[in-house]
Amino acid sequence: MGDSKKLTAGGNWLWEDSRMMLPEHKLAQNEHQRELRRRERKHIDEAEWADIAMAFSASLQLHKLITIRMFDPFEETRIEGVVERVDQFGGRFMVDGEWFPFHDIEGAVLADMEDN
Amino acid sequence: MPGKSRTIFLVDCQSFYASVEKALNPELEGKPVAVAGDPERRSGIILAACPLAKAKGVTTAERLGEALSKCRDLVIIKPSMQRYIDYSMRISEIYESYSDLVEAYSIDEQFIDVTGSLHLYGGDPEALARMIQLHVKEAIGVHTRFGISDSKVLAKQACDNFAKKNESGIYVLERERLADSLWRLPVNKMFMVGSRMTAHFERMGIRTIGDLAQTPLAQLKQRMRQRFGKNSDVQAEVCWRIANGIDDSPVKPGTHMGEKSVGHMMTLPRDYGTRDELKVIVLELCELVARRCRSIGKMGRTLSVGCQGADFDRPTGFSRQMTLPYPSHVTNDLYYNAMSLFDRHWDGLPVRRVGISVTGFQTDDQYQLVMDDNRERLGALEAAMDRLKDKYGDAVIMRAVSKTAAGQAQDRAMKIGGHYK
Repeated sequence: MGDSKKLTAGGNWLWEDSRMMLPEHKLAQNEHQRELRRRERKHIDEAEWADIAMAFSASLQLHKLITIRMFDPFEETRIEGVVERVDQFGGRFMVDGEWFPFHDIEGAVLADMEDN
Repeated sequence: MPGKSRTIFLVDCQSFYASVEKALNPELEGKPVAVAGDPERRSGIILAACPLAKAKGVTTAERLGEALSKCRDLVIIKPSMQRYIDYSMRISEIYESYSDLVEAYSIDEQFIDVTGSLHLYGGDPEALARMIQLHVKEAIGVHTRFGISDSKVLAKQACDNFAKKNESGIYVLERERLADSLWRLPVNKMFMVGSRMTAHFERMGIRTIGDLAQTPLAQLKQRMRQRFGKNSDVQAEVCWRIANGIDDSPVKPGTHMGEKSVGHMMTLPRDYGTRDELKVIVLELCELVARRCRSIGKMGRTLSVGCQGADFDRPTGFSRQMTLPYPSHVTNDLYYNAMSLFDRHWDGLPVRRVGISVTGFQTDDQYQLVMDDNRERLGALEAAMDRLKDKYGDAVIMRAVSKTAAGQAQDRAMKIGGHYK
């Protein structure tokens, strides 16, 4: 217990260094904390879909830079680039050579619109 | 004073393993019950005893035979560790319905910071503690004890020294009244003070927690320096702060996410005396450590290896660490380096306990490539094995050496903390 970090203001070392936790219990705690941060899929209404479609179309046809917000259960993810292809039948689109599913889209805005 | 306005609970579950077993099996009502390890593997000790068993003299950590000689009708139950973890998690969820600041300190102790939510329940900490106590009893069947104060270190000491001993199981330790409560207790009742430290304090004329708290810090440091050398200043201040209840550490729900080290230790069922046998254990431990590192997305740079002989009273063996050539979470990288440490430091005497740990973490999403890098190819193979083990259990795939007489992986796959799942 001779470690100066134990005296750091606002630290938690006294407890982190002295606790007795089974590795399996720590894993369960971590998994639980992760689950607490799980996000719900955002509902997108018709007006929002129209905005997204317009931004996609401008990016695809005019090669404009676009920022697309994608659903992830645990973190905020964005794709930035130019929409290169749209596969309506397969329900996917391509940015910088990589395919992404339409159903994970939560929003999209053209880079020049984002600046305004 | 830091944390002056906080309201912190340290909640402890009474005789947790035994209480869970009694809650699950109504036939055990009114009978003395103890949960005890497996006698065949030298772990035949009492892990938990219910209050009825304790009333007959059964104590935690005593040998099964001794317990039975005191209480002939003692019902012995083998531990089910996964069940206890599941129950502990269910209890965490109950606490989280009262505050989002809940931190597990052990399988049966958790901190709750109710500062922000107390007003929703009438503003009386004791009344809220009673409400949570009843909630846990009704939902889980386990009796809980509450230490309440304005810091974690006082809440912990309130629980250990007072709440566990009074009828209600709830005790508020007020900072203003420490002189009439905590400070009257002998110094061995203080958090983090064991028998050796007690002996040192007593030789220094410090008999109660109050004696320690009221010794000026500079004087305490000086006296401890005389006894332990000049590096004891931090230890002196930690002890002095605990005695005075000075602790501004937060109740940190995600505290287990930021692990600073990953380690596994194995107590062997018999003495292992040959390098060939011990190699198997080192490999199995490296597999476990590497897998845990991968599960938290970390690679370690510092590897520690420790071995202990059979006679814990006359210690033999070694504990050494080394810096790895590159950060890794691949079993083979850990294994080859662990064996080089082992070969350099093992004295050839029989070994009963082996431990491997890794520290010095960096995230595994970006790393510098080096020549002879195992991480890409073997890392992908081990990630595939991890997925299989996650889905079908640890015994679904293992190295052939684990099937030899020395191997413990198969047995360990059925256990948690050395006891059956």
